[in-house]
Amino acid sequence: MKHLIIGAALAAALAVPATAQEVTLARFFGACEDAGTDTKTSVGEACIIQSIINAASEQIDGVTVNTLPTDWGNYYDQLKAAYAGGTAPDVHVMHRSSVAEFAGLGALADLTDDLAAAGIDTTDWAPAALDAVSFDGGIYGVPMDFHANLWHVNMDLMAKAGLVQDGKPILPTSPEEMLAQAKMVKDATGQDYLAADFAQFPIGVRLVLALMWQQGANIFSEDGTATINTDAARNAVTAITQLFDAGVANPQLNYADSQQAFLNGEAAMLVNGTWVVDFYTAEAAKEEVGLNNYQVADFPTLFDEGATWADSHMWAIPASLKANDPEKFQAALKVLAFINDHNVDWARTGHMSVRKSVVASEEYANLPHRADYTGTASIARDTPPSERYGAIQDVLNRELQAIWLTGKSVDTALGDAEAEVQDLLDR
Amino acid sequence: MNKQTKPLRHVLGQSQAAALLLLPFMSVYLLFLVYPFFRGVWISLHDWNLLAVAFNPDAKEFVGVSNYIKVMWGKNIIWSPLASPVLQLMGLGGAITSALLHRSGRLGRTTALAIGIGAIVFFILPGFHPGEGGRWYDRRFWPTVGNTLVFVGLTVPGVTLSALVLAVSLNRETRAMSVLRTLFFLSQVLSVTVVTLIWQIMFSPRQGLIANVTELFGGSPIVWLTDERFAMAAIVITTIWWSLGIAMILFLAGLQDISRDLYEAGALDHATGVRAFWYITLPNLKRTITLVIVLQIILHFQVFGQSHLMTNGGPNDTTQVLVRYIYQTGFRDSDLGRASAMAVFLFVIMGAFSVLQFVLGREED
Amino acid sequence: MLKGRYYWLVFALSIPAFIWLVPTIWMVSLSFQPNDLLARTTSSTALGLVPLPFTAANYAALFQYGQTPLWFLNSVIVSLGMTLGVLLVSTTAGYALARLDFPYKAPLTVLILVGLMVPEQAVFIPLYTMFADFGWHNSYHALMLPRMAVPIGVFLMMSFFKAIPSDIEEAARLEGVGWLQIFWYVMLPLARPAMMTLAILTFLYAWNDYLWPLVSAQQREFFTITLGLASIQSNFAQSEGLGRVMASGVIASLPVVLLFLIFQRYVVQAMTVGGSKG
Repeated sequence: MKHLIIGAALAAALAVPATAQEVTLARFFGACEDAGTDTKTSVGEACIIQSIINAASEQIDGVTVNTLPTDWGNYYDQLKAAYAGGTAPDVHVMHRSSVAEFAGLGALADLTDDLAAAGIDTTDWAPAALDAVSFDGGIYGVPMDFHANLWHVNMDLMAKAGLVQDGKPILPTSPEEMLAQAKMVKDATGQDYLAADFAQFPIGVRLVLALMWQQGANIFSEDGTATINTDAARNAVTAITQLFDAGVANPQLNYADSQQAFLNGEAAMLVNGTWVVDFYTAEAAKEEVGLNNYQVADFPTLFDEGATWADSHMWAIPASLKANDPEKFQAALKVLAFINDHNVDWARTGHMSVRKSVVASEEYANLPHRADYTGTASIARDTPPSERYGAIQDVLNRELQAIWLTGKSVDTALGDAEAEVQDLLDR
Repeated sequence: MNKQTKPLRHVLGQSQAAALLLLPFMSVYLLFLVYPFFRGVWISLHDWNLLAVAFNPDAKEFVGVSNYIKVMWGKNIIWSPLASPVLQLMGLGGAITSALLHRSGRLGRTTALAIGIGAIVFFILPGFHPGEGGRWYDRRFWPTVGNTLVFVGLTVPGVTLSALVLAVSLNRETRAMSVLRTLFFLSQVLSVTVVTLIWQIMFSPRQGLIANVTELFGGSPIVWLTDERFAMAAIVITTIWWSLGIAMILFLAGLQDISRDLYEAGALDHATGVRAFWYITLPNLKRTITLVIVLQIILHFQVFGQSHLMTNGGPNDTTQVLVRYIYQTGFRDSDLGRASAMAVFLFVIMGAFSVLQFVLGREED
Repeated sequence: MLKGRYYWLVFALSIPAFIWLVPTIWMVSLSFQPNDLLARTTSSTALGLVPLPFTAANYAALFQYGQTPLWFLNSVIVSLGMTLGVLLVSTTAGYALARLDFPYKAPLTVLILVGLMVPEQAVFIPLYTMFADFGWHNSYHALMLPRMAVPIGVFLMMSFFKAIPSDIEEAARLEGVGWLQIFWYVMLPLARPAMMTLAILTFLYAWNDYLWPLVSAQQREFFTITLGLASIQSNFAQSEGLGRVMASGVIASLPVVLLFLIFQRYVVQAMTVGGSKG
């Protein structure tokens, strides 16, 4: 046993050839240890990205990529700790929403003049993607996707409730209609209308945000004033709590539980991101899974205008690497170029591509369920940039959970959230 | 004592030997505990952004005690005697009781004083609250402190009592008992991430074993980790399951130290079973009990992993604990100054406990 | 009659002992079940406590691709190093404080005992910035050193040495044996039970420590198993591979549990010996 362990550790240490530039890469998306190098067959976010990274490590001459595994919960904390400790990874993934904080402090390398030489064509990026990686006139990363909240639909339950027309689910156009349809599903099938992670990750927050944006409102303005204790927010929250009150949705499920409920056929809808489309497609194909007839839909418009929460994943390089180690910086750029070239493979997760050429390609159009949510790109929204994005999202998640999990009154919770977010914006 | 021939074969004098023996510890102690402590206090007096200062050491700014005010104080904070009646009455009651016990000669002076001061603090602190139009600058801080106290207040007695009962029952040198001891100790060697991994899924309302058992008996499963009423209980149960072993072993070692003669003598006075436990075991185990409680308080006040991994401090912050808040403030919000101010507060609380404990322990001897 | 009561006691204690063991059994059992089954139900056979349908695929994958063995090795290195370090500094300092006379002994003892009040978690931020300035993060010594400064070991050893009757020492002094020799040849062997207790406490602490490695180690090479497991148990991964995560948990725990099972007899013995002498 012991020998086996030491042997395995030695093998892991010796696997890296000494001559190559070793690029360390940090990412979230979860672990996939047996991803292989085939970027066309891997399934799920973790395995698809890891297969692209493995392929990069194998195919780029003179470059090996060492993936630093990091979990979701601590990713940004650890990334910051690494930056502050002078041991930042050579390449790392991040969200558009965090660019302001990292680039604002001078942590990220300005890649504006390096991308073309590395074979990355910025003119092929969608304007919104270029916008996502830009800060103060410079380009600080390579965008990889747009991801947004979708409604994942169990068509069998919808059909039983009579909510299918022309093979498409009938979605609500107002909160009242949503409640009515939810009751139809409950009456016809006995199952919940809608499931989502209301208890763990900020997916409930993103739902409320979308419903606020649909009313032309936002949680804070560009000039840094919190606007949460408003009628728009109350409307958004009540649109959701009415489902809990009517017993057609369960607020107490976390991410894994809500997903399992949907896959078991215990909920007609699951609000979750683009990142699970291929995984659910694969699951629905299995005989033993309760979900059989799976479809995807754009986030429905319950108020005045269409809107759904969206963000972007992007890859960045530390400023210190560009300044101190030009050779490794070039190696890191090659990795970014490789990932950029494999944008269509990443899109297999269900994410939306950032490259115009990919979006126009047949391969992209033929991805499963892609046609179901073509409208999402045009309704994608996010909060104004803030250095305290993470903390603000945390405040909202806490106060919203207080509303649906602990019965805190909507007015008090929104008032508290507004005061606390204002504190964060003023800091 | 016979003080005659004394060959001087040893080279080192007593002081020199002591200096040499103390050197290794003192160097790590001063470098990695004493110095960081004062440095922490220094950081807490600055506006200190983790990343900004790392890139540019001059980016910090001296702000005096402003971090402490922002964390612990608020706008228009007033004090009234019955803002949170239960805690305050408990404190008041404690102060009066200790005074009375001292009067009647049941408590020594220092012990009475220590308990009295502790009780008065309990009376005073919860009395602060925001007046009209006022609010705490950091509305999460005090509830977080409260949660940590609740966690310690549930876990320490839980662990101590169950470990004591188990140790007394298992204190026999037979094969069966030794196997049972091992079983109870086993969970202690698991790492916090394994423990939270197991219990996170144990408590899951859909995948969890507890839910499956509940459903077997026709009940509807409790949503442990996301229900305000049960989340803290879930974390406490996990912690007791995890950390019972060491306490039990320490009690067993303490039990071995009690001479059998005492029990034999006690048996003559018909002190067996529960009576023997009450009149012989407990008094002789006092020192071990004190040690176990001190160790547990120190350990559990620093709880982090259970809250961080199982509940993310939720729901609605009910399981947010102090160390997690320090970690978040420092590494998510990059605000090392504020985080350090909270760390200093953590030190003050634990220091107060240690002093109280020390005073109590001394008087008992 | 007494015999009968004893068996009843053993029986009565077996029930809580079994309940105590159930979570662990469950983890082991889940690790032997197929992942796609677990995504739907965790209670297929006997509430999931019996691994049927059975598969060893989770373990095969773990050894084929996993980083768990490396993390495990790191934990062993860090925990052993920390334990040895703590034993070294605690026995020496504990002996000096308990048995030797030297100037400023009382204030020094107080200074050290005051350190008991400083929780490690209260100094992890300054330690982090300090180690960052030194460029020490992502190294074994960065993971080991902070714990060695905690005076609880000194406190334990000091109490133990104080309890040893002074005639042994005096006899040696009359023979003209030096203080260091007394420490090494007389006191240390006597202190074995206490050192054992301290070693176990320290090893377990080191094995379980989460916050400091989380802050100090960001590179895979220096992840401890505790940290590594946290990084793969995030729920996004969990719902897609519960069996594999559980297998990692088992692999992470099994060697320590085995080590302990072998070690524990010695521990209990050592405590018994120490007890009968006291």
